[in-house]
Amino acid sequence: MITKDISQSVVKKDHVDKVAGQLPYISDVKMEDMLYGVLYRSPIAYGKVLSIEYPILPEGYHVIGAEHIPGGNFVKILIPDQPIFANEWVNYIGEPIFMLVGKELEVLYQLLDEAQVKFEEHEATYTLDDAIEKMTDVMATHEFGESLQTIEEIGKKAYQIIEEEYETGYQEHVYLEPQGMLGIYQEDEIQVQGSMQCLYYIKNALISALACDDDEVRVIQSPTGGGFGGKEDFPSMMACHVAIAAQVVKKPVMLLFDRSEDLVVTTKRHPSKIKYKTALDRDGNILSMSTEVFLDGGANTGLSPVVLQRALLNSAGVYKIPHYHAKGYVLKTNTVPNGAFRGFGAPQSFAGLESHMGHIARIAGKDPLEYKRQYLVKQGEPTITNGRFRDPIFMEDMIEDLLKTLNYKKKKEEFARFNQQSPRFKKGIGTSLFLHGCGFTGSGERDHIKATVKLLKTKDDQVLVKISNSDMGQGIFTTLSKIVAQELGVPYEEISFPYPDTKDVPDSGPTVASRTTMIVGKLLERAARRLKEKWQSGVEQEIVEDYVHEEMIPWDEKTFSGDAYPAYSWGVNIVEVEVDSFTGNVQLEKIHASFDIGKAIDERIVKGQIDGGMAQGLAYGFMEKMTSKQGRIQQRSITDYGPPTAMDIVHIESKLYDNPYAGGPYGAKGVGELTLIGGAPAVQSAIEDALAVPFYQIPITPEIIIESLEKREGEAVD
Amino acid sequence: MVTKTVASYHFDTLAETISKLNEEDCTIIAGGTDVMVLHKSRRGVAPKIAKPVVFIDHLRELKQTYLEDGDLHIGACCTYGEMLEHSLIPNIFKKAIREVAAPAIRNRGTLGGNICNASPAGDMLPLLYIFNAKLVLRSVNEDRIVEIHDFIQGPRRIARQQNELLVEIILPEVVNEARLIFEKIANRRADAISKVSFAGLLQVQAGKVADARFAFGAVGPTMVRSQETEKKLLSQVYPLKVEVLDEVVADFASIINPIDDQRSTAAYRKTVALKLLRYFLTSKELF
Repeated sequence: MITKDISQSVVKKDHVDKVAGQLPYISDVKMEDMLYGVLYRSPIAYGKVLSIEYPILPEGYHVIGAEHIPGGNFVKILIPDQPIFANEWVNYIGEPIFMLVGKELEVLYQLLDEAQVKFEEHEATYTLDDAIEKMTDVMATHEFGESLQTIEEIGKKAYQIIEEEYETGYQEHVYLEPQGMLGIYQEDEIQVQGSMQCLYYIKNALISALACDDDEVRVIQSPTGGGFGGKEDFPSMMACHVAIAAQVVKKPVMLLFDRSEDLVVTTKRHPSKIKYKTALDRDGNILSMSTEVFLDGGANTGLSPVVLQRALLNSAGVYKIPHYHAKGYVLKTNTVPNGAFRGFGAPQSFAGLESHMGHIARIAGKDPLEYKRQYLVKQGEPTITNGRFRDPIFMEDMIEDLLKTLNYKKKKEEFARFNQQSPRFKKGIGTSLFLHGCGFTGSGERDHIKATVKLLKTKDDQVLVKISNSDMGQGIFTTLSKIVAQELGVPYEEISFPYPDTKDVPDSGPTVASRTTMIVGKLLERAARRLKEKWQSGVEQEIVEDYVHEEMIPWDEKTFSGDAYPAYSWGVNIVEVEVDSFTGNVQLEKIHASFDIGKAIDERIVKGQIDGGMAQGLAYGFMEKMTSKQGRIQQRSITDYGPPTAMDIVHIESKLYDNPYAGGPYGAKGVGELTLIGGAPAVQSAIEDALAVPFYQIPITPEIIIESLEKREGEAVD
Repeated sequence: MVTKTVASYHFDTLAETISKLNEEDCTIIAGGTDVMVLHKSRRGVAPKIAKPVVFIDHLRELKQTYLEDGDLHIGACCTYGEMLEHSLIPNIFKKAIREVAAPAIRNRGTLGGNICNASPAGDMLPLLYIFNAKLVLRSVNEDRIVEIHDFIQGPRRIARQQNELLVEIILPEVVNEARLIFEKIANRRADAISKVSFAGLLQVQAGKVADARFAFGAVGPTMVRSQETEKKLLSQVYPLKVEVLDEVVADFASIINPIDDQRSTAAYRKTVALKLLRYFLTSKELF
């Protein structure tokens, strides 16, 4: 099929296999002689390992521990602080100490019970608040913006200074397919297959752990049932486990988590605490603002420093705030490590800032949306890092259109009348305004990622896409094939895009940071254009395209100055809710969303990103609740964690604004993370509108709502 | 695979099933939606059920629903899905059923199973309590009829003898004009376990309360019901006087003692339970 406009939707390339249920995921794979692995995990949050007594092993069963690691005993990510097998110190409950490998899982579970590990327990840090109090284990810190001295001077002359503290909780990815990895021993190489987003992150971790050459390891992506960032960093550890085991036992070794294990030991979104200090004049105008962000990193560094960067870079939202200062920390706690999650630090920042702006608006006696609109950045204005918003910004149009469609003012009046008459149910409407910087921060694409893509044309004129990016359900098999097909003028079905295998594909970078369509898609567009120019029928041809950095204001990672991102996607969400003031239950009533993602490569696929991202973002604001008690995750099932079902989400009315970006294919910018970011702040704003009570945390669970309402009632009586 | 054979029985008739129960201590599976979860093993290992298993979900004798002398008899193996379709099942039960899990579970789970699982959060239990449900337990010797509140003794503890089978649930006739309510409070609208649930019945005749019954779920080891407090409302003028209302709420405040767990807090459960009670007793919206 050749579509006139690339945005026109087509059937996803993997549609039939998925709908028929015939696509084999990693847990469906069975190999001859395949063994299973199970991990012995730390039962304590922090302590020194005194002795490890392995169980007596039956024939055909093996122990794989730190002593079997040919390379360094750490999972290569940023900082070597995450052991593959924690044989000296354990830093969180669930940290792997060794692995048992054998044919029967039932026997393996039995053997796990027989193993004995002795610890010298040390005093653990269980919560972010404890870590903030101590400030002893800082994993990363950044600071930038206006000098604090200037801000203090401004504060002295201000009419009032508003200080607020905001908290965000854990969020769990709940990908449909739990984590799974298979290590395969071959004479000349170790192969790892599994559910993953970043093939070369895993390959690099394996080279480090196995201390081997580049051609001695090979990573192949299996069909992946959702990632959301949860399969960005975490799979590297499992890959090390199965690769080391396969090398020792010379057989395939499979490591699969069931849901409860996955919920308890895999990475989550960083819980955060954000402090705001904002100086206002007599009319409620902002004179200055300083923000302090604290992220709970969990037990090892992982990607947390980068998450902190994005949290800080987004901390002023879509606003031009005069005299802005930002500082942030990642602090270590003895809890499950936190890692990548769709939005990567930005959802925390937007939830906090939108909440704060809403509260200031009320203090200033203004409608939150009207107040926030005054501060919207415009094209050509500086970013908080002294970069520039170079491209057109349509936020004003997007807001205005939505207000008209909704008849916003009238609706607010209707809700006010309804709330006066209804003792139990209260209606509210809330808005969030947000953006997302597309691709890696600053010069990351140029200096760290250095993406390369390849198109291969066979003698039969078959075109193959050779990149290392994962289709994890977001649809790049289809969208990227469409881009190549459009350039070549052939139907997209004719482009073949096999599951990537590092032996076969160059490193086009990880599948993260809303970069795949924009960055990798652009490289493929250019490669396809060149292939078309050079096309010789019946001849094998190969086109390689390398990343070229766009001219921007140079990014300085030390001072946090320059253009942090090449482009921004934008969004407006308006959410209507009905709150049961007797139970605190919140029912979403209507959801409206407008986005500027440059240009949609496939409207239905983008709609999938909008519906899924918004469900995840809205639920982050009021439903999904994960807690840790003495270092132990309390919710061990999906039911207890409570992600939304189809019964909880209503139709999402969404609209796209074309605003083509020259640096993206056909003008496309990033979309994957953007759609999640506005959900929580919009729902918070709507709940506050319904109840006329401010909240300072997400998720705003029924428990929090009832507590706040009871408190207000108590105060009213006093 | 290391496998151990689990003895299982699947008889054609109820009589054979009951006679087997007389010989052997068995685990009974109707829909299996609780038993299978309770005995779940870690990934890749079959559920471990120590006792022999008796399947009963296919027995026609346990799927009958009929009226007799004004009382409604529901077969213990009627699934939620079947009850939803049946014209004799009271609407308030259907409302509760629509909030049970999701359609797949509703096609398997049975009314008898919900009772015998005796979960403090059992979705059908608050209504069964205020309907004064009676349970028919059959053994080779006799049919024994037990009140539901005597049958359920604690979380997963019931007064079933090894040789007995719950065959029927009897709902004694309820006067038509009774006002009924059922509210399930959970973290989401499907596939959720109650944090609090509440069932209420109120009958007003000639401006006075003729009958009042309340049951609260998920706020204690079993459903919380107090016939003593209910009696205080009889013959009271309706709308209720503030003192009467406050006394009833205060009574329940002293007997509802929920716990904190991974799903909610004790304070929330108690506050919400009392709010729902007060709302039911005062709201004009409901009637």
